[in-house]
Amino acid sequence: MIPACPLAALPRGEAYRLDIDPPVAVFHTDDGEVFAVDDTCTHQDASLSDGWLEGCEIECPLHSSRFDLRTGRVDSPPAKLAVRTHGVVVEDGMIYVVPSDAAPNLPPGLAAGRAGNES
Amino acid sequence: MSTSSLLATLAGGLYTDENIFALEQQRIFEEMWFCAVRSDDLGKPGAFRTVQVGRESVIVSRAKDGSIRAFLNVCRHRGARLCAEESGEVRRAFQCAYHAWTYDLEGKLIAAPNLTKMPDIDRVAYGLVKVHVREWLGYVWVCLADEPPSFEEDVLGAVVTRLGDLTSIENYGVENLKVGRRIVYDVKANWKLIVENFMECYHCATIHPELTEVLPEFADGYAAQYFIGHGAEFGAGIQGFTVDGSPGVDRIPGVTEDQDRRYYAITIKPQVFVNLVPDHAIVHRMFPLAADRTVVECDWLFLPEVVESGRDLGPSVELFHKVNEQDFDACERCQPGMSSRAYANGGVLVPSEHHIAIFHDWVAGRLGLTR
Repeated sequence: MIPACPLAALPRGEAYRLDIDPPVAVFHTDDGEVFAVDDTCTHQDASLSDGWLEGCEIECPLHSSRFDLRTGRVDSPPAKLAVRTHGVVVEDGMIYVVPSDAAPNLPPGLAAGRAGNES
Repeated sequence: MSTSSLLATLAGGLYTDENIFALEQQRIFEEMWFCAVRSDDLGKPGAFRTVQVGRESVIVSRAKDGSIRAFLNVCRHRGARLCAEESGEVRRAFQCAYHAWTYDLEGKLIAAPNLTKMPDIDRVAYGLVKVHVREWLGYVWVCLADEPPSFEEDVLGAVVTRLGDLTSIENYGVENLKVGRRIVYDVKANWKLIVENFMECYHCATIHPELTEVLPEFADGYAAQYFIGHGAEFGAGIQGFTVDGSPGVDRIPGVTEDQDRRYYAITIKPQVFVNLVPDHAIVHRMFPLAADRTVVECDWLFLPEVVESGRDLGPSVELFHKVNEQDFDACERCQPGMSSRAYANGGVLVPSEHHIAIFHDWVAGRLGLTR
């Protein structure tokens, strides 16, 4: 479990970017649920925590693919692959991310353990 | 005071020279308050219009909080034009079509490919370049200068100079009126010819038969703008400011008895004309695009209930639409003559046009030219 941020510091409708490798985005939905997914869009290196949160969906700020925060599924291109989801635990007012064991679906040019984007 | 009947105009070259026009763009249109957009045209957050102000394309849009913002229409990354359309609506952000740099409705850079790998980028500093904004008369006025001139002195002051006070225009509640009709004219003439034309009425008896019918004193050649606080009176048999003198629509409640049955005209330099009659207002915004080309957007504004009722505004609109066409035809007739050697030193102003010399002195002064 990786501590992200206090629940009180993350208002509903907002996102927190957990700067691990690869980075994780934590969302607090308008309905009060908390989700965590990889922060990077599966299409291009864009930060989903900068995107638009609507209900249980996050829309990439660059090319408008939408990911379901519960399943990671993407609704329409240009992104084709699901975003990896992580577990979330809220304990004593603190949000913890439980990292997934699955392989991430990072965009071309980005691989886990590699922060740069040189082609 | 001159004892001569005639005063000199500007030289012909000032109406044709692209270098002079470039200087006017810099020192007039990019320095002064510029009436850009009707606020109502920006209905909800994300609605935008792009307008040409001097050499710049400017985005005028409504932000999330309902306030109006204006930005230079240039992506901060590689300089691509952000909004290519003249008007439109974005849902949440302006996005560059080149590399997808994305700006929120307040102009802040919010997303870009690889942005999180460049944490040193200041998202505000690399936000869109802001332009000063004021709202007045229901219009968005922008100023591209770093330090805008006083809106009160330049814009409100122009109204006070013409009408004698601000109350006179406030009576019409122009900001609460609705656009009943808008006509855009693409005029092949220098913007100064259009201003000069609007300022004088020596031409009225010749080219404006319908207007002179409604405002008989215009046949004298002395425009309402020659005087302070003077409204030209409707003719005896005239019932409204309409193309055939038929009754207009509902009178604006704030209009006083003194103002009833009168026409007032105001030039707000450098690019706005306001016309006031008891039941509507007509506002012209000029967009000078080249030395010999000016787009004029003209709005006919009526009480909201009049516009919503679907009543026939035709006779009211038709009168000034004819005036516009007649005036712009005259301006286009002058433009070719501006480059003739017959007009190299300019022409002359007769006494009923002498107040135009004040405009000429003002232009020359802004451009740093001696006359």
